[in-house]
Amino acid sequence: MDSTLLAQYVLAGLVIGAIYCLMAVGITFIYSVMRMINWAMGEFYMIGGYLQYLLIESWLGPQRWYLAVPLAAGGVALLGMAVQIVLLRPMFTGSLERLDEYATIVTIALTVLFRNLAIVIFGPYQFSPPDYAAPVQLGPLPLNGSRFVAFAGAVVLLGLLAFVVRRTWFGLALRGVAQNRLGAVTAGVDLGRIDMLAFGIGVGLAGAAGALLAPVLLVYPESGALSTVKGFEIIVIGGLGSLPGSIVGGLLLGLVESLGSVLLSPSFRDVYGFGALLLILALRPTGLWGERAREA
Amino acid sequence: MTADRPAARTRLRLAAAAAGLIAAALLPLALGAYHVHVLTVALYYVVLASSWNLLAGYTGLFSLAHHVFAGLGGYTSALLVLDAGWPIPAGVLAGGIFACALGFALGSVTLRLRTLYLALATWAFAESTRVVVSMEYGVTRGDLGLAVPKLFPGAGPAPYYEVFLGCAAAAVAALLWLLRSPIGYRLRAIRDDEGAARAAGVNTVRWKRFAFAVASGAAGAIGAVYGHYIGLLSPVAMKFDEMALIIIMVILGGQRTIAGPIIGAVTVEVVSEALRAYGQIRMVMFALVVLAVMRLYPPGLAGLLRALATRAARTAGVARSAGAGRGVAPPTTNSAS
Repeated sequence: MDSTLLAQYVLAGLVIGAIYCLMAVGITFIYSVMRMINWAMGEFYMIGGYLQYLLIESWLGPQRWYLAVPLAAGGVALLGMAVQIVLLRPMFTGSLERLDEYATIVTIALTVLFRNLAIVIFGPYQFSPPDYAAPVQLGPLPLNGSRFVAFAGAVVLLGLLAFVVRRTWFGLALRGVAQNRLGAVTAGVDLGRIDMLAFGIGVGLAGAAGALLAPVLLVYPESGALSTVKGFEIIVIGGLGSLPGSIVGGLLLGLVESLGSVLLSPSFRDVYGFGALLLILALRPTGLWGERAREA
Repeated sequence: MTADRPAARTRLRLAAAAAGLIAAALLPLALGAYHVHVLTVALYYVVLASSWNLLAGYTGLFSLAHHVFAGLGGYTSALLVLDAGWPIPAGVLAGGIFACALGFALGSVTLRLRTLYLALATWAFAESTRVVVSMEYGVTRGDLGLAVPKLFPGAGPAPYYEVFLGCAAAAVAALLWLLRSPIGYRLRAIRDDEGAARAAGVNTVRWKRFAFAVASGAAGAIGAVYGHYIGLLSPVAMKFDEMALIIIMVILGGQRTIAGPIIGAVTVEVVSEALRAYGQIRMVMFALVVLAVMRLYPPGLAGLLRALATRAARTAGVARSAGAGRGVAPPTTNSAS
């Protein structure tokens, strides 16, 4: 195979990998702060896609998609905060036992709820807003405009998140809670608020990914299923609870899929991630950047 | 008060279970073919829900690939019968063994880590398997579905019903036996506090893997039988919705009870057949009910029934013992087993 082609596939893998990162970082973000996996991540992604489509089709028009993306992500974040207040906050008031079990069951029930609500409201059809931009040439790689926008959007969002987490007081509070909840409380951090905001931001990232990818991967009730799985594969590969791990894992998964489909077979593109996951679990179970946490 | 002595009580319960089983076995005489079919499917879910309850409820392992193990058992048996000419019972056995071995292998990789990893890995396993099954068109016939030879060609649902009733009874009896054996105590100890269990000398990895392999094998075997009943296998049954259905049944019925998954599976299957005309709204409804159960009343239907029975017994007891002035035993709360 000639090197231009290889470069093209590598680049294509990195582009899709950057978008996977949004999902994985959202999952990690929620896990670090609340110590729970949000299994309904893909459904928030799906809702982001629907919001984006509705905003573009009914109000903003295809020219102003860049206004619709933050609105859709914000809407998803608000929904996430509402979910957190109604369903997840009781986890931390001491009235429940087995927090991880409770969180798992509740978020899986949410998966069923949102998926079927989408079918009831919009039907099983696939929607897609028009492309966000004209095709671009990225080095040797000709790229679909929407894909490029999604890539750029993912990079901007991840940069913004990194800034907030590393450089602001709010980010300091987040990191404090992630390290030690009790310690953070004694330092005067309002845990309820931090949990709510962290959950909102985490699912908001998924919503943004859904909105950005709406023209590429289409919007339908089960559109979140595959992206959730990719997110989970990434966090196992990168290491549960590590933001850098999620980013490296996301890019790696994009690469593995892209190279796997050219070197092996394109029909099994969605299976290579699982292979990578098994490999990591067998060789380095804590993931590339994994924390060596004590068991609770 | 003879029924309160343990031995007599056990005998009473056994007699009640046997009577219930005989009554259930005679049901097809009273019902039409359609209703028998619905109950047959419900019994299939009883086995899936009960075996998943062993994992999630009693051992604390959230497998999210239970439906896929059932599907793989179905494909294994169907392909062995179709391509290698095996008899159906041998195929079913092979389906169970294959799912059990897969569970063992997947458990070996993931169960040394925190239990969350099992959930993550099984979810990824489930979706990847579904993709492979729909892509390997040459072997599985992909999304078209694989036509499977029937167990009783040309027969109505009644004989299948009896087979599934037998399987469900065997599964529940095996679960009861397992939970009363030392293994059951090890599993519950692992769920309650894995560190303490290990400190007490339980080889936690081995027993977690054991539970996972056994439950997956049960799912594989019953999935194989189900394939030979329905006559068609397709990757659609490996979608996550199917797993969610099993979870809904267990939570609604009541986790960590023997009766819970049975009540839950039958209730959910019968209700969703009765409301078939409403389409996906049923699933929305079930999801809302599960959220309500988790948030407000975790014991579920089995817990509710038990509480009602205790209350009834107490009022009856009060009425009876009012003259004699005997105290009433405190109501047993929803016990863990």
